[in-house]
Formats: sequence, structure tokens, C-alpha cells
Amino acid sequence: MSKIIAIAKKELAAYFKSPIAYIVLIVTISIFNIFFFLIIDENREASLRDVFKVMEFLFIFIIPLLTMKIFAEEKSGGTMEFLMTTPTTNTAIVLGKYLGSLMFFTLIVGMTLSYYFILELFGQPERLTVLSGYLGIWLEGAFFIAIGMMTSSWTKNQIIAAISSYVILFLLYFSVTFIKYFSGTLEFLIRYMGTSMHMENFAVGMIATVDLVYYLSGIFICIMLTRLSVENRLWR
Amino acid sequence: MIITQNITKYFGGFCALKDVSFTIGKGEIVGFLGQNGAGKTTLMRILTSYLPVTSGEVLIDGKNVARDSLIVRKKIGYLPETPPLYLNMTVKAYLLFAAQLKDIHPSQQGLQVDKVLEECNLNDVQDKNIGVLSKGYKQRVGIAQAIIDDPEVLILDEPTSGLDPVQIIQVRNLIKSLEHKRTVILSTHILSEIQQIAQRVLIIKSGEIIVDRNLKDLLIEKGENLEDIFLKLHAGGENK
Repeated sequence: MSKIIAIAKKELAAYFKSPIAYIVLIVTISIFNIFFFLIIDENREASLRDVFKVMEFLFIFIIPLLTMKIFAEEKSGGTMEFLMTTPTTNTAIVLGKYLGSLMFFTLIVGMTLSYYFILELFGQPERLTVLSGYLGIWLEGAFFIAIGMMTSSWTKNQIIAAISSYVILFLLYFSVTFIKYFSGTLEFLIRYMGTSMHMENFAVGMIATVDLVYYLSGIFICIMLTRLSVENRLWR
Repeated sequence: MIITQNITKYFGGFCALKDVSFTIGKGEIVGFLGQNGAGKTTLMRILTSYLPVTSGEVLIDGKNVARDSLIVRKKIGYLPETPPLYLNMTVKAYLLFAAQLKDIHPSQQGLQVDKVLEECNLNDVQDKNIGVLSKGYKQRVGIAQAIIDDPEVLILDEPTSGLDPVQIIQVRNLIKSLEHKRTVILSTHILSEIQQIAQRVLIIKSGEIIVDRNLKDLLIEKGENLEDIFLKLHAGGENK
């Protein structure tokens, strides 16, 4: 456990030593702020439902930028050899790196909590609905990070890692758009695999087991695949 | 301390190591010699458990490097050919991170970091980012992480690469001081370095060990310096 924390701390600190983290933080929060005020001004209701939709959409573009370096940078810089020749298990390496990125993402989400307090000041938002929405957006981001980390473990090229993430995230997000062309099991499968339906439930205050299972199993599978990828790279 | 039995390593169809066997005793300093691409780095990566063998077996202190990888890694300090450094970390933070990953007790981590900073003459740059350091300093940080947990086996891939003459002498002295206490394997292109540091030499050519001898015995037998022996072996293909 102490090694997972050591790796997570190193990972988190690395974000703040690179300009990309600050750029992502500033740009993301600025865009969120603009949309928050536009949506509130337009809807005139004390709800963050539409704000969560915007956040979900933007995270598809932002998260691969944060995750592309997780393993690709270690491989290209030769530090993977250092990590993997210390008495540290592959699981600890993967979990530490995941935790570090998740902490940075949590910070981004945490900075948007001010929206809730603003709503509290000027209206009467449904607390549980807002909390459920935040849980949903956090779980979705955690899933996207797991996907980004997995693609980063496939290559030493950060651009390829980011593009691979975009392909997977676009498929998950936009696949529902083409649902009308499918029927039967395939339709059900596409609807279940798509992220938007699950996030929508959280955004309206509905915490369903099926949605929790979707995100948690997605995260678990991606972490397992990342571990496998790290090991396969070793044993090729 | 180290036993390799008939190890062969293929990368796809390319045979990087062919039926390599040797034994290295505790406290020995052994030099790996060979041209670029001969298989030295592959062999070192196998000993550290970073790469698996295609066939054969490697035992370090009686433990199989594939099956008991974590136990073996606790016994090894490794400096790869390119020092594995996080350029955006300070020297001290990096060494502390290495100490945490190498199972040094939390109460001892700071002490061990201070000790290697002293040993590798890194005190002046301990708070600097590794990225701004010269190549020589980076190499010393790489050595510092390799020795931070006082490993029983030290594997150094070209440890003096990029160092200035004074630093080369310091690193050589550091390695020499480990004689009889630690098992050291080093590879280098500087033949005189092997002659000054190592007790024994393994010359690798195209993935095969063509010479495995005590260095003094080899020099006396051939009546030549190591450079001439090495050149002749690579020109003529003399066998073990």
C-alpha cells in the first residue's frame, strides 16, 4: 500500500511540474464557468443537470491529454526499467499511477463544487440530485482515466496513446447516436455500453445498481487490461 | 551467488543470447565485454528480471529470477545504460522515491538518501531538478539509486558513460570499494576500466560467451593487454 501511495504522490506531483496540467486546469474551469452561467441564465432553475452534460462532453477531450503520459512517458524515458526492477508489483505500479491521475481529476471536479454553493445562495437545489450528479461525473471521469491509462500502456508514443483514448471514448459516447440503425441484442448492448445513458441517470438523482456496475466494472476491466499490458510488454 | 544455466533469448526470430551459462561467486567483480549488440544489455536485463529468458534458468542467491522475481529484485541494484531518471524531480525527491520503492524502512529512508548523496558527491545538487543537471551528475544520480539499499548484487550497464576523468576515478573507486562485499557486474566499452576494476571478464560475441576467465590469468596466458585480446577475438572469432 505504501508503494501505491508513493507512486500516486509522484504521479500527482508530476502533473504540477508540467505546464499541461495548469493549462488543462485553467481552460477546463474557464469553460465550465462559462457554460455554468450560460445554462443557469437560460434555464432559470437551480439544477446542475445540463452542466453535468457539458462536463461529461468536455472530459472526453480533456482526459486523454491527462492520461496519455502515464505509461508512454515512462517507456520513452527509460524509467519503466527502473520501476520494474525495484521490488514493486505490477499491480502496485498500475494502481499507484491510476490513483495519482484520479487525484488530479478529483481536484478538477472539486473546483466545480462552487457551482453547488452558488445555487444554494440563489435558489433551492435538490441536494441529493446534485450529489448524485457529482458522483456520476466523478465515476465517469474515473472510467475515462482508466481507459486513458490502458491506452498509454500500449505504446511509448503519447500522441498514439491520446488518439487511441479518443477513439474508445468517442465510440462509447457517440455510439448511442446510431442506435436507431440497430435492433435486438445489439441495440441493447450499444445502449448499455454507451456512457450517456448511465450519466443521465446520475444527473437526475437516480443511483441505480446497473449504472454503478457499469462504471466500476469498466474501471476494473481497464485496470486489469493495463496490468496485463504491462506484463505482456515484459514477457514478449 | 549468480548461476545462469543455458539461457537463450530470442526477440522474434532474432537470437540475442545463445546457450549462455556461467556462475558468479559472492564478492566478485565481473566485467562484461562485447561490441554493441553483442547481448550484454539483454543479459543484464535478464539478470534483473526485467526480461524473461526464452529458455534456461537464472538463479540469484538460490532464487529463480522469473518465479521469485520480487525476492530477487530486493537483492539487486541496477543502473541501466540510460540512467532511469525523472527529469522533473529533484535529486533528493527522486532518491527518496527510489528508497520507498526499494523497501527501505521509512525511518531509514532519509538516512540512506543522505548516505548516497554523500557517497556519490551529490550534496551540492540535491535540491536541483534532475533535468537541469549535466550528464555526469545524471549518471551519478543513476548510480545513487542503484546502491541506495545496499544491494547484494550490483548490475551496472556502462556506469562511467558521460563522466569526466575525475568522476570516472570516483566511480571506479566506489566500485572497487565494494570488492568482496558485494557482487558487481558491469559492462563497459572502456577496456582499461575492466582491467582496473574487474577480477574476471566475460567476453560476449553475437550472443555467446567466447571468453570467461580470471582477468589476471587471461592477461598472463596471452601475454597481451586486454585491448589486443579483445580485438583479436573479434577479428578472428577465437573460441572459449
